[in-house]
Amino acid sequence: MKKWLISALGVLSILSAGQAFGIEGVRVNGFLTAGATYADTAACQNDAACTAGPGRGPVSQDGNIANQVGFANDSRFGLQISAKVNSKVDVTGQLLSRAREGNYAMKANWAFVTYHVANPLAIRAGKLKLTTFLISDYLEVGYAYPWIRPPQEVYYSNPISTMNGMDMLYRVNFGRFSMLIQPYYGASSGEQALVPQEVVNYVPQMGINPQNGAAIVENSPKGTVAYTDFTADNMYGINVSGGTNAFTLRAGYLKTLVSAPAFNVIDKTATFSSVGGSMDWENIVLYSEYFQRKIEQEANTAFPDQKGWYATVGYRIGKFLPNVTFAKLEDNNNPVGLGYGTPLAQSSVTGGLRYELGTGADIKFEAEEVKPLDGTRGLLIGPLPTGKSHVMIYSVALDLVF
Amino acid sequence: MARLLKKLAVLVLVVAGFSGMMNAANAALAIIGNPANPLEGISAADVAMIYLGKSDEFPDGRRAVAVDQYRRSPVRAEFYRKVVGMDPMRLKSYWSKLIFSGRGQPPRAVGGNEAVKRWVARHPDGIGYVDGKVLDHTVKVLMIVP
Repeated sequence: MKKWLISALGVLSILSAGQAFGIEGVRVNGFLTAGATYADTAACQNDAACTAGPGRGPVSQDGNIANQVGFANDSRFGLQISAKVNSKVDVTGQLLSRAREGNYAMKANWAFVTYHVANPLAIRAGKLKLTTFLISDYLEVGYAYPWIRPPQEVYYSNPISTMNGMDMLYRVNFGRFSMLIQPYYGASSGEQALVPQEVVNYVPQMGINPQNGAAIVENSPKGTVAYTDFTADNMYGINVSGGTNAFTLRAGYLKTLVSAPAFNVIDKTATFSSVGGSMDWENIVLYSEYFQRKIEQEANTAFPDQKGWYATVGYRIGKFLPNVTFAKLEDNNNPVGLGYGTPLAQSSVTGGLRYELGTGADIKFEAEEVKPLDGTRGLLIGPLPTGKSHVMIYSVALDLVF
Repeated sequence: MARLLKKLAVLVLVVAGFSGMMNAANAALAIIGNPANPLEGISAADVAMIYLGKSDEFPDGRRAVAVDQYRRSPVRAEFYRKVVGMDPMRLKSYWSKLIFSGRGQPPRAVGGNEAVKRWVARHPDGIGYVDGKVLDHTVKVLMIVP
């Protein structure tokens, strides 16, 4: 509530500043996604249920997709206001409200000032979206990408979505080819990360190995969903992307020190590297990305070293865009032993259909087959019942931008 | 003799100018700038970069402020298809990405052919596109799209 008030006041002050200085450049934009999900199987909540038949229950690791029709996973609403203060300075604020956060609690997704130093160079400061992948910048804007949700084997791997700090946008143009170089520096606090249920039981006073100081990991009940506060300090990285209207290639690198006091994790180094590209040429739509992360011991318990990739191929037929996505998440040579986590592994195949409802609106349908691998639960909330190798997740979503 | 030559030269210029105007008038689409703009022409690639928010300068380094026609204008659809190379669907998706990542805003839509012409005539750093039929001396033609 308090946060909501602060953001509302922020937006109001931007608006009133707009009136006070008589600027004509105030723009309001918004986006909305209304989505429904259904999974054909519930994951095991406890060992007894693992042999039982289908029961109603959650499937996805955060519990938002279940084997009953649910609306919490994808539904969200965002409002953005930007105002030009003068020809060099503009201010942007975005409020985001998600069904999964209970009663659509509003929060400031980002708010920053842009200073256009000289033509190719702009500096931004404030609360910025962290650009780890191709579509991280507009992750919540369903209309801007072909899927209902970006492939989770890649996109769920970085729990840091925003940072307080600054970045630099440096653009180089050659004819129709344009390149964007974006170094950044900042810190992230007040965000929450989903803690793997396998390590939820670990708390410092009851789980330190006296020999090496490492965490004693105990299994918590399957299906446990817990979040922990964490901070990422001294975060720096660079994104480089280039392309034309029809294609984009990007590469990014990020290094930070993560701390999660509840898990006795203090300033552990985490690195993220990613490469990817997209194409929308003639009627062919392609997206593909690869990432790997390396995270030091202690933090590694909850966030083991992983790598993942996906590839999407689509073909436009008028207003229809049928598409198929292959994705995989796996171990990235994570060390084995006390204090190290277990990398989760899964693969998925998704068939999707997007249909344009005029400009600025679409409706999407998806059927996704998720298969946990290497004896892990993958990104599901628990193992699948005996005899089940995969779960089908069906989704429908309506996206709008205005 | 010199006077005759001068008259001849003027005649040639007038005819050339007239035929130039006729060409412009017959053209489907014209990219226009303010008469104060020193540029004699601009390439489609440069126009596309300005209209996609990837550049806010004319090729000579002077500031460029682009304006659009209203959303359902047929001239607008033709301009984006022929010069920028995007259909309305892709354009909407392109701008959604930029707007919501806080990296830019599309050009302001000021109205139809006449409104764009008037706006560019009033703004020295303006650039717009209009149907060739409405061209007159208040604006400068930077590019003709056949």
